[in-house]
Amino acid sequence: MAESKNFSNGSIMAFIFFFAAFLASGSSTAQVPFLMWSTKSLPSLTSPPAGHITSMEELAAYLTPVFGSGSNTVLLFLQDKLSKDDFTLFGGVFGNKEESAFRNLEAALQSSSSSVSFPALEWTGESAIPTLLQQKLGASPLLVDPDTLSHLSLNTSTSNLLIINLPYCSDSLKSCKEVLSNNDEIIGKVLSSLKAKDVSYTAAYTGLQPSQAILKSSLLNQQVGRTLLQAPAADVKAPIIFSNTTGFPCIMLWAQNLSISPPGSTDFIDLAQENATVIGSMCNSTNSELVLTYVNYILRFAMSQRFYPVSARNWFTLDSVQVQVHSSGQTASFVGSHGIYAPAEYSFHCQSVSSVRDTLLVPANQNATQWKLNFVDFQIQGFSLANGTNFSYASDCASFFTAGIWMGLVTSLLMLLIFVYGLHMIMQLNTMDRFDDPKGPTISVPQSD
Amino acid sequence: MLLEWMMNGHAILYTGVTLAFWSTILIVGICYTIFDLGFRFDVAWFLTETSPFMWANLGIGLAISLSVVGAAWGIYITGSSIIGGGVKAPRIKTKNLVSIIFCEAVAIYGIIMAIVISNMAENFTGTTPETIGARNYQAGYSMFGAGLTVGFSNLFCGICVGIVGSGAALADAQNASLFVKILIVEIFGSAIGLFGVIVAILQTSKVKMGD
Repeated sequence: MAESKNFSNGSIMAFIFFFAAFLASGSSTAQVPFLMWSTKSLPSLTSPPAGHITSMEELAAYLTPVFGSGSNTVLLFLQDKLSKDDFTLFGGVFGNKEESAFRNLEAALQSSSSSVSFPALEWTGESAIPTLLQQKLGASPLLVDPDTLSHLSLNTSTSNLLIINLPYCSDSLKSCKEVLSNNDEIIGKVLSSLKAKDVSYTAAYTGLQPSQAILKSSLLNQQVGRTLLQAPAADVKAPIIFSNTTGFPCIMLWAQNLSISPPGSTDFIDLAQENATVIGSMCNSTNSELVLTYVNYILRFAMSQRFYPVSARNWFTLDSVQVQVHSSGQTASFVGSHGIYAPAEYSFHCQSVSSVRDTLLVPANQNATQWKLNFVDFQIQGFSLANGTNFSYASDCASFFTAGIWMGLVTSLLMLLIFVYGLHMIMQLNTMDRFDDPKGPTISVPQSD
Repeated sequence: MLLEWMMNGHAILYTGVTLAFWSTILIVGICYTIFDLGFRFDVAWFLTETSPFMWANLGIGLAISLSVVGAAWGIYITGSSIIGGGVKAPRIKTKNLVSIIFCEAVAIYGIIMAIVISNMAENFTGTTPETIGARNYQAGYSMFGAGLTVGFSNLFCGICVGIVGSGAALADAQNASLFVKILIVEIFGSAIGLFGVIVAILQTSKVKMGD
């Protein structure tokens, strides 16, 4: 207890500062990878811990024994931009070796006598590495074109520093792989021509600047994070909303299909595809009526809500659905109060509200028996809409257990109960062995009465 | 001692099943309450949506099966006593078959009621509660109730007659004059089965299924 009181504010601040600085140092220092391979043996390098950024001084200290004695031919492949992410993105590291853009480079690294790599070399300027190599070798750099190298005659008695500039890709991501593959081919050609000359060389591959491979690719909408493979859902159309006089939504209706079939015709007309006006609708605290006026038809949904004492809550019912033909004025009326109900705070949803199948809408007048209604994926709410335009919780017409499931459950559970009871009775039958006496005389059964 | 009783495999099984059943009910009830879905628990929906035929046939099935269970139990008890007593006193065999016949009568009541009730089941057209009509619901529930009535009455009547008959057989084996007195007790016992039959007939007297 006493120790914790010694944790002053100052030490906590210092800790936070160091932590932030540690984090910052990792992210803000520019770095380029530096790969080196040679026909002679290079001194071995203990692999640096992950995230360690090699400073130029460390590289200089490493290169001193390499180029200290004799004459060396150094071939520097300077790509405009290079970073570790290029290898990750284009190096075929995810098991797709055949798509790698660095095949010749990898082959050269593996077939060389020794190779060494600095995954993160501190980048202090474009000319840092050529200058350092120039310093170590004591030779001035010679810019070489890959094609002219075969014609170049190298003086192996002095140190040579040959620099080959390789391009980096422009903004389009697609050609990046091609550019890097081309660079790789150039490297391969150059190395093979050097091998043909039978010259002992040291080659290095690095970049003039760090590239922004990952940033570039994310700018091109290539999703790096996890994405769903499912096709994106199509946009959902808005529900039909009727607002009351104060401007708040009062009745909401959404349906995928509002299909009606007038008498005499067999196919359905989907009214949900047409535009409707909601003029003539009304809503107050106990009754709501939504009147949808289409070109040829008028649909009326009449709902009411009241308090039911047995369940002690308010329920609303869709009392009737009326279809009226504009031209002739004839009306078909369907009653829906038996099946279409929900607590007044919630909306009602049903996959199929129809008068033909699983009839939730029952014809109420003579006309209606010849009409057919079929509303698909139907959701309606006439009361208790808050200010937003979202439906409340949807009380679905489909319950968890259907009536058939309940009937099956009741019967099977009853039979199971009977079976278990019978099994229990049989299992507790015992043979009477109270009077068994293995050593006593056996009983004698008289033969006569 | 409780531990010894618990070691019994049956007790563990029944305890486990009871625990599972009640915990299921408790957890489902709690979930319904928490999510304000209590309105989904609708007994009226269950009673009106399940078909009257289910109730009718459950009644018929229970009528015959429970009666037969009662008769079988009674015969098992009496029969084993008669056979056992008859070893030492073979004269009791013939007279004590009367007890067996009293037990069997209970099964006959059961099958007669099952046939009577099943004759009342008729077809009706109608799929929603309004179109099915109150009379069909009443018929379904009455048949279920009648089946339960006759079934359970005969069940306990059969057991009763069986135990009394067993006592009668053993007493008869000891002393032949005791049998007639005990027979009177048996007659009282079998009357209760008859009561069940009468009430079941009354229950189904107003049943009229169909359109």
